[in-house]
Amino acid sequence: MSDKGDVDLTGAKQNTGVWLVKVPKYLSQQWAKATGRGEVGKLRICKNQGKAEVSFTLNEELTTLDTVGQKSSMVRAPREHPFTLQTVGGQTLAVFTENSSGQSDAETGGSGTGPDKIALEGMVVQRAECRPAVSENYMRLKKLQIEELSKPLRFSQQLDKAVTTNYKPVANHAYNLDYEKKKKEEGKRARADKQQVLDMLFSAFEKHQYYNIKDLVDITKQPVIYLKEILRDIGIYNVKGTHKNTWELKPEYRHYQNEEKSD
Amino acid sequence: MRQQTKEEEFLDANGASCFRLLLNFVINGTSCSAVMTSLGSSSSSTTEYVVRVPKNTSKKYNIMAFNAGDKVSCSTWTQARMERDMSNRRIYGEEETQEGAAGSEFGKKQREEARRKKYGIVTKEFKVEDQPWILKVNGKAGRRFKGLKKGGVTENASYYIFTQSADGAFEAFPVHSWYNFTPQAKHRTLTAEEAEEEWGRRNKVVNHFSIMLQRRLRGQERGEEEEEEGEKGGKKKKKKEGRGGDLRIHDLEDDLEMSSDESDGSNGDDDEAKSKAKKEKGPKGKGKKKKKKDSDLEGFEDSDDGDFEGLEVDYMSDESSSEEEQQEKTKHNKGEDVPKGIDEMSESEEESEEENKNEEDGKEEEEEEDGKKTPVQVEKKKKKDSSGESDSSEDSDIEGEAASALFMKKRTPPKRGGGRGSAGSSRTGSRPGTPSIDNAATSNTLRAAANKLEQGKRQTTVPSTETPAAKRLKMEPSPQSSSGKSTPQPVSGKSTPSSSDVLLTEDAVRRYLIRKPMTTKDLLKKFQTKRTGLSSEQTVNVLAQILKRLNPERKNINDKMHFYLTE
Repeated sequence: MSDKGDVDLTGAKQNTGVWLVKVPKYLSQQWAKATGRGEVGKLRICKNQGKAEVSFTLNEELTTLDTVGQKSSMVRAPREHPFTLQTVGGQTLAVFTENSSGQSDAETGGSGTGPDKIALEGMVVQRAECRPAVSENYMRLKKLQIEELSKPLRFSQQLDKAVTTNYKPVANHAYNLDYEKKKKEEGKRARADKQQVLDMLFSAFEKHQYYNIKDLVDITKQPVIYLKEILRDIGIYNVKGTHKNTWELKPEYRHYQNEEKSD
Repeated sequence: MRQQTKEEEFLDANGASCFRLLLNFVINGTSCSAVMTSLGSSSSSTTEYVVRVPKNTSKKYNIMAFNAGDKVSCSTWTQARMERDMSNRRIYGEEETQEGAAGSEFGKKQREEARRKKYGIVTKEFKVEDQPWILKVNGKAGRRFKGLKKGGVTENASYYIFTQSADGAFEAFPVHSWYNFTPQAKHRTLTAEEAEEEWGRRNKVVNHFSIMLQRRLRGQERGEEEEEEGEKGGKKKKKKEGRGGDLRIHDLEDDLEMSSDESDGSNGDDDEAKSKAKKEKGPKGKGKKKKKKDSDLEGFEDSDDGDFEGLEVDYMSDESSSEEEQQEKTKHNKGEDVPKGIDEMSESEEESEEENKNEEDGKEEEEEEDGKKTPVQVEKKKKKDSSGESDSSEDSDIEGEAASALFMKKRTPPKRGGGRGSAGSSRTGSRPGTPSIDNAATSNTLRAAANKLEQGKRQTTVPSTETPAAKRLKMEPSPQSSSGKSTPQPVSGKSTPSSSDVLLTEDAVRRYLIRKPMTTKDLLKKFQTKRTGLSSEQTVNVLAQILKRLNPERKNINDKMHFYLTE
């Protein structure tokens, strides 16, 4: 079990060289559609008297675009892409990989708990930019893209008819009916035995120190006046500097350190 | 063969090691002909490779970018650890206050949430993905890097990593994110506040090496008690002196060292020995006293105009005196901690060592609160160096006495009373009733000091006893000896100054007194020892004699005895 955080340095040791290539968005989208083993095209490296020319040719099947709209059949992705080579100078670029935790099968932990394995794959020796060869096709593609992008995210649309389906006048709303039914079921709050109420209060105050009167009413299900009387006995009303007026137990009833309270 | 050469040239031109692999394949004719085609021609060769974008790979590729200037070479790494820097979690995560127990409200969380929604406060989530990396190379002793995620990398274009696979095809992996790694400093650096301070002092501080040293020592001191300060101060002094010796950059240090050599034999030795021994004891005691005194002092003195005019301020009282801005320039310098130029420093050298020491210690503590330790320490060290200075270069010890008596708790009232009693008896009634002992010590001791001036040859027990013990230990032998010596000195109106800036003559004194009423302190201030070349003792005595001759009028202004002449 490798320690989390240990970087596997084999790539660095071997000094594996890699290329960093900047690829246009549409091309990466096409590549995502690749089938099978993932072949996307061919890379041709031409050495002409010291100068290297690199170019990439997209596979035929990947040139169809899934654009929205009518023009999809007309426009295709260009196939030829010469690479513009650049030097790496000014920065030392290394490539490291991270294994997503859920899939590392070396660990026994469940998904999300296994540590990531970090490995250094190699150093970048060449930077390149993949440019499409300028063609009529490409221009059309670009036009499409620009049209899509220039559409605003929100737009206003005029409606022919007013919307009448949302709110209809009702004798009594469904929500109100439910509410009244609920209230009826509960009935008026009856005064329970004082001792019982006290017990309930004390257990509530065990959990929190400050309570709103409404919350206490909810908890104890007692009428407000009765509850207030009881509270006046055992508790103090607290303005506390905040807006809410809260009730808390009197100091002699409090014992918060160990979350117990003395009676 | 020819091809091979060309390929090697090709390699050199591009420096791409992957090509080397690739072309070796070609030459050795390994089984990848299906993958690559090689077209030969006389001056160029073309090879084709299949590009694959592997699917369902669990590995996410990221870029680790270093600045070329950092000279990072991954091949030199033997071992590396990398983890996410989670230190921002508490900012983004909700601070969970303790549930239940005291102080909690029922439904507080919901209310807080509702409140946030109402005001539209949106707190950003803490995404582990976006957190910086901490990379540690080669273990504890190696370098550390912090990698910050670079935004906007994958927005408009995608980066792919093309690697050569075993079968000669290229595999392209998309880059998930880009991290810029910067090395982290292992040496100690200044914080922003400290840096600002140092920037403000950049023209004055010559010895830049000491900046970090002081900062470190300051940190140590803060964590320790007062007692230790003296020792550290001593250590600092030694260190600083050592450094001064090594670097010899600072003029002032040279000055101080030399001046310490110049001191009288006896005094010097005494001073050195005592200074070192005392540093622990004295500052310790003084430290405690000072703290109390400062607080006392705050309520003690009114900041009346003219109150502090002639007052030789003890360095302990810096807080109050520096706040009141009626101080004379020199005093102000003493009180002022921050920029003290070399000139100012040499001026303040004139002040008594005791006061210097006290200033240092007092300043030390006061400055701790102020946080302006560095300048103070620089000066303190210098002053400690100057503690070896001879007494002769000090101002009148009366000033010191008075001030020290003023601010030290260890006043000896009975003795003072005795002194005053004798003074009172010998004095004519022109002096108003001697204030009680409990009065503000200022008037007491000043009067006592003035008495001494008047008399000119009183026994030295008074001044020595008037001075609090700790402070005046050093001074004790000297006042006694020197004042004993001074009595048989010829009472001449003229002193024998070596430097002739200011002569302590009767005429000079007369001029001053005609111009405006002055206290003894003021007068002494006018005839600074450095200018007249006299020792403080001598100055005092000569001045006393002059005053006796002049017999000026006495006026009590603000409870202080002022002399003046009308002519």
